Amino acid sequence: MNSFFNKNGPLISTYFIIAIVFWLIFLIIIPQLYMLDLSFRPNLPPLLRGGPDDVHTLVHYKHFIFGSETSADAYNYVDIGVFLNTIFTAIMVTIINLCFCYPIAFYMAKVAKPNSARLLIVALIIPFWINELLRSFALRILFAGEGVINNILIGTGLIDAGINFIALDIALYTGLTYAYILLMIFPLYNAIESLDTNQLEAAKDLGSSTIRTHWRIVIPHAKAGIASGCTMVFMLTAGALATPVVLSSPNTYWFTQLIYQWFNMNDNWSRGSAYSILLLSVSVIFVLLMMRLFKVKIGEIVR
Amino acid sequence: MRSQHFLNILLGIYIFIFLMYLFGPLLIMSVTAFNSAEFPSITPWECFSWRWFQEGKIAYDGQHLAGLSTDWRLHDGLIKSLMIGLGVVVLSVPIGMAASIVLTQVHSRLRTIFYSVSIMPVLFPGVIIGISTVVLWDRIATIGGEGFIADIGRNGIFLTILGQTCFISTYCFLIFVARLQRFDQTQEEAALDLGATQTQVFFKILIPYLMPAIASAAVIAFLASFENYNTTVFSILSDQTLTTVIASKVRLGISPAISALALVIIALTLVAAVVYEVLRRREDRRKKERQDQLIYEQTKDSRLKKEPTSSFKVPRFIFVVILFFILGIFGFNQLVKNDLYGPECVAAAESAKKSNFAEQLKLLQQNADTVDEKSLEGGNLGGNQDYGDIFGDENLFKDFGGFDTKED
Repeated sequence: MNSFFNKNGPLISTYFIIAIVFWLIFLIIIPQLYMLDLSFRPNLPPLLRGGPDDVHTLVHYKHFIFGSETSADAYNYVDIGVFLNTIFTAIMVTIINLCFCYPIAFYMAKVAKPNSARLLIVALIIPFWINELLRSFALRILFAGEGVINNILIGTGLIDAGINFIALDIALYTGLTYAYILLMIFPLYNAIESLDTNQLEAAKDLGSSTIRTHWRIVIPHAKAGIASGCTMVFMLTAGALATPVVLSSPNTYWFTQLIYQWFNMNDNWSRGSAYSILLLSVSVIFVLLMMRLFKVKIGEIVR
Repeated sequence: MRSQHFLNILLGIYIFIFLMYLFGPLLIMSVTAFNSAEFPSITPWECFSWRWFQEGKIAYDGQHLAGLSTDWRLHDGLIKSLMIGLGVVVLSVPIGMAASIVLTQVHSRLRTIFYSVSIMPVLFPGVIIGISTVVLWDRIATIGGEGFIADIGRNGIFLTILGQTCFISTYCFLIFVARLQRFDQTQEEAALDLGATQTQVFFKILIPYLMPAIASAAVIAFLASFENYNTTVFSILSDQTLTTVIASKVRLGISPAISALALVIIALTLVAAVVYEVLRRREDRRKKERQDQLIYEQTKDSRLKKEPTSSFKVPRFIFVVILFFILGIFGFNQLVKNDLYGPECVAAAESAKKSNFAEQLKLLQQNADTVDEKSLEGGNLGGNQDYGDIFGDENLFKDFGGFDTKED
């Protein structure tokens, strides 16, 4: 501690300590811990808080699993269904995104000339400075019941009646894939770019097929990039709120929408917190899984 | 060799599809901003108009759809978004800088823990950061009683700044870490040996070196704050920012005014990207010229001397701009020729719709009357066939107006 002060001088040291304590303790750790605590407490009106009724309880987690006491079902099928569906969709979107982005990332890193690769990067970044909501809105114009795609398909006589893309969740999948493409491409691009091109040529000279080259050389090399891209996309998809609000069909609920409902419409903050903790634990488990699966460190995932 | 060729063509097609996927929706949305119809669409094209950028319209059925320049909620939200963005930049850039510098000074185990905690907020879902900020501050406000603490604890703008700072600081942190990796620590040592105080070293050496990172961190922080929705929607409480206004608009009903807003944002982004690219290229060229000059001065080799080229080269992208300009004029001409532009067209479309609406109303009324009479007579209630199956025609109801019945 002393050496820290000696190294930076009193003024700068004070600034460092205030900034870091404020951030790490006050903005990151305490709010999360308080939310965790709140999720184990009953939903009380403000006046009763801290009183004798304010005890630790598992009531909200029980509600998530078994449903409310008045319902006849043994389990809370609705909420658990939404939860599993969200995770399933997020995993599917991650896989789709990976398959979709890999060729582009490879093209940018190894095939394209430097200038056109740079142009492509700028072209990739531009749509992502536009609000996620507006991007989803653009897709909604395309996919709506009387939207552009249906009108074109009917106009050309390919189909007779409009396809309900939104109810079929096609719109949701497309929107979620669209929303986070950039976060998949950049880690992949960075990882593939660091691969020595000579290795590819050597493989080719030794008679390896294209697929085999990718499977045995490029993908193992890009491991960290793949882990990083998948983690980011999964996290953001599972925690997305804007895209599902705009594009999901009325009978598909997203888990964040459920949290939003408990929080803002039903005014049950502690249950909202409990559901948030569930979402958070899924995220943490996924990160740990990715780190274990791809044998990367957390520092390699976020860059 | 032929299979390689085939693969390249396939890759080309793939990239084309990819770019279409990326830009197609945005392009179509931009075009719908100019359609005067109240549902954002292309194919039933009514008239070309600027109304969604200006005053919007009051539909024949009394529904008011605001345009961009008259929507006070958007303006209000924009001002609050700018305030929040400014607050976030002021907080998160110094925090990120402090954390990254300290990271270079701690070692081994502490360093790993410190780094992991610092990047955690990026891995948290945005909604959770918003919620945790709100619940904590609500508690603080309750304990603090009346007065200043209660006021700020329930102030949406303040909470949003805190919530966003939590994870945007990590973005800044990562930018600074990347820059600091290339920092030459001997500079600091030299300054200290020559008698500078630590504070002087910080302000005279470290800050100037970090200046580019500070600039880019500020820009990134502002943009990230400006377009954030997930955290803001919880922490803003009863206030509204630009994104939450957009969200409520998109949810309530979809209007071309949103397309117009998107087009404005797209245009600003494009201009910023072009300016950035031009500046970067100029910087690159200048650097190269300086280097050439340096090499020449060192070697005095006349073969390396570059005559300063004074001839003005026409940049290639000018042709693209001109092409777009000509296409624009041509398209506009066509629109005017076909009576698809101007107040007359809008008025005509409006009155057509109005009479259509009135007619439908009248028919419905008639239908109701006859049904009433018939039910008195005890006859058949399904009166559709009596009008030559006129109500069997679905198109009648399709052109009804802005409702999108098939969507749900």
